[in-house]
Amino acid sequence: MHVGGEVDVRSAYCAASVASLTNILTPALFAGTAEWIARCQNWEGGIGGVPGMEAHGGYTFCGMAALVILKKEHLLNLRSLLRWVTSRQMCFEGGFQGRCNKLVDGCYSFWQAGLLPLLHRALHARGDTALSMERWMFHQLALQEYILLCCQCPAGGLLDKPGKSRDFYHTCYCLSGLAIAQHFGSGDLHHEVVLGGPENRLQATHPVYNITPEKVARAVMHFLQQPVPSLEPA
Amino acid sequence: DEIGLIPCPEARYNRSPIVLVENKLGVESWCVKFLLPYVHNKLVLYRQRRQWLNKDELIDITCTLLLLNPDFTTAWNVRKELILSGTLNPLKDLHLGKLALTKFPKSPETWIHRRWVLQQLIQENSLPSLVTKGNLGAAPVERIHRLVQEEMNVCSEAAGRYPSNYNAWSHRIWVLQHLGKLTVKVLLDELSSTKYWVSMHVSDHSGFHYRQFLLKSLIGRTVTDSNVLVQNQIINEQNPSLQKEEESAGAEAACAEEQSVDLPRHLEEELELCTELIDSYPGHETLWCHSDETLNNSHHSPATSPMAQAMDVDGLNESSSKQGYTQETKRLKRAPMQDSFGPEVEYRFIDKVLSTCRDADQARFATAYRKWLVTFLGQ
Repeated sequence: MHVGGEVDVRSAYCAASVASLTNILTPALFAGTAEWIARCQNWEGGIGGVPGMEAHGGYTFCGMAALVILKKEHLLNLRSLLRWVTSRQMCFEGGFQGRCNKLVDGCYSFWQAGLLPLLHRALHARGDTALSMERWMFHQLALQEYILLCCQCPAGGLLDKPGKSRDFYHTCYCLSGLAIAQHFGSGDLHHEVVLGGPENRLQATHPVYNITPEKVARAVMHFLQQPVPSLEPA
Repeated sequence: DEIGLIPCPEARYNRSPIVLVENKLGVESWCVKFLLPYVHNKLVLYRQRRQWLNKDELIDITCTLLLLNPDFTTAWNVRKELILSGTLNPLKDLHLGKLALTKFPKSPETWIHRRWVLQQLIQENSLPSLVTKGNLGAAPVERIHRLVQEEMNVCSEAAGRYPSNYNAWSHRIWVLQHLGKLTVKVLLDELSSTKYWVSMHVSDHSGFHYRQFLLKSLIGRTVTDSNVLVQNQIINEQNPSLQKEEESAGAEAACAEEQSVDLPRHLEEELELCTELIDSYPGHETLWCHSDETLNNSHHSPATSPMAQAMDVDGLNESSSKQGYTQETKRLKRAPMQDSFGPEVEYRFIDKVLSTCRDADQARFATAYRKWLVTFLGQ
């Protein structure tokens, strides 16, 4: 994560995210990375922090998104990943848990639910004909209910679950999850499902970078027009 | 051996806020808002090179800081520098970390620093220097073994202080991988010493995941060792003159010993443990999950299961089916136990659970498990 710091799947995602947006992504930079990430997928179907570790929502998102950026998502067992993540939506609360047998948490509205657009895209690319053209493979309305009814702080901001205090991290990821749950697909295939009135509607977010798709496009365009820095020191 | 915060919003008497009772350190909460910014500021000024601190002051200040907030990476990094310059004994940081974990059992930075320290200690193994100061003395192997045991204790305590403590259990796995070298002895010891713990923490997915890690490592070990044994035999046959007799005999004996790990029995015991716990504690998804995977292990492991021959679906099974058959006949000859382990048993168990349970979650898990069995085993 930083010089002398810990090594785990998050840093691979950070690196891939930054490198791809700023147009400095080269095969050499990520040699072996995709294979390493694939080794972080375990018997549960989800992905852990490093090979051998327990499957965890945050790390799973980072691993999958990084592989999508590197165009190597097929190194994963997508079927077992799909089974794992869909099992993480809580049938009573509607929100997602981070790991098996843990409690629901608003932030996993993004880390877990955000996997489904990525999986949908990957399975579609593989020619899967059973995929819906209108909804993701999780209960979008139930997630929206959990976020709107249970994760809002009356003073503003969002949180983990009722009883917890608000913070910026949970505000960010509850909103991101809400955006994922409201918007399916993009362009011609875009399909909205908004719980409650139109005032609840959020803009769609990009499922890989979690900023709006317009911002992704602008960033990519901007850096494509810059000269690519050379590897030699100045 | 333990630290804690004493809720005490106001200083009522003119006395020190530090309380030491029976080796447990308490800090009255009123002083934290003075103490923490003070020490924090001092360290930041030092880092910015605006105020010098000598080594003893640095050790004291970082120690205080980390006991109040062990996720302050900078403080750990200052201690890294002190260790690298030879001024600070790394064992002290293991102790400091252990103390911090009594109050902050998840603290990611504490676990990360701990791994850094352990890596330093393994490297130092060949160099006496600081190591002899810490009175672990002894031979390197013995030292490592004691370090491993201590880490197992620290992890166990931290796991008990916070449910499903991902960081504690991840650390435990790391220690076995990097210090314990995943020897059969270590794996079996851990399997038996965590059995009681997981029975007392039936929702602790991390604990059960650890047991999966142990079982899978054992399976991997058995396969590797039997391959090594076969390779050694081939080499022996081809080049008898090149063998140093002692070495090969020793290696083969070790392999033979490790080969005798009764994998089927361990997997069977694991399944029994699951069944018992599922019965006693209805509605815990972790137990069903663990049960699923244990059965999965026994199906795919080359050394186990009557199903392996019947199904013959795995390439792995095909290539080692001879070995599997021999193991299987031995098992059959040992005791009429083949009925206690297999899909029929699992179906009977599920039916029993479904007919007697009153917990909705339990019923849901049992039904899902049955579906999985049908799909997976095609029966």
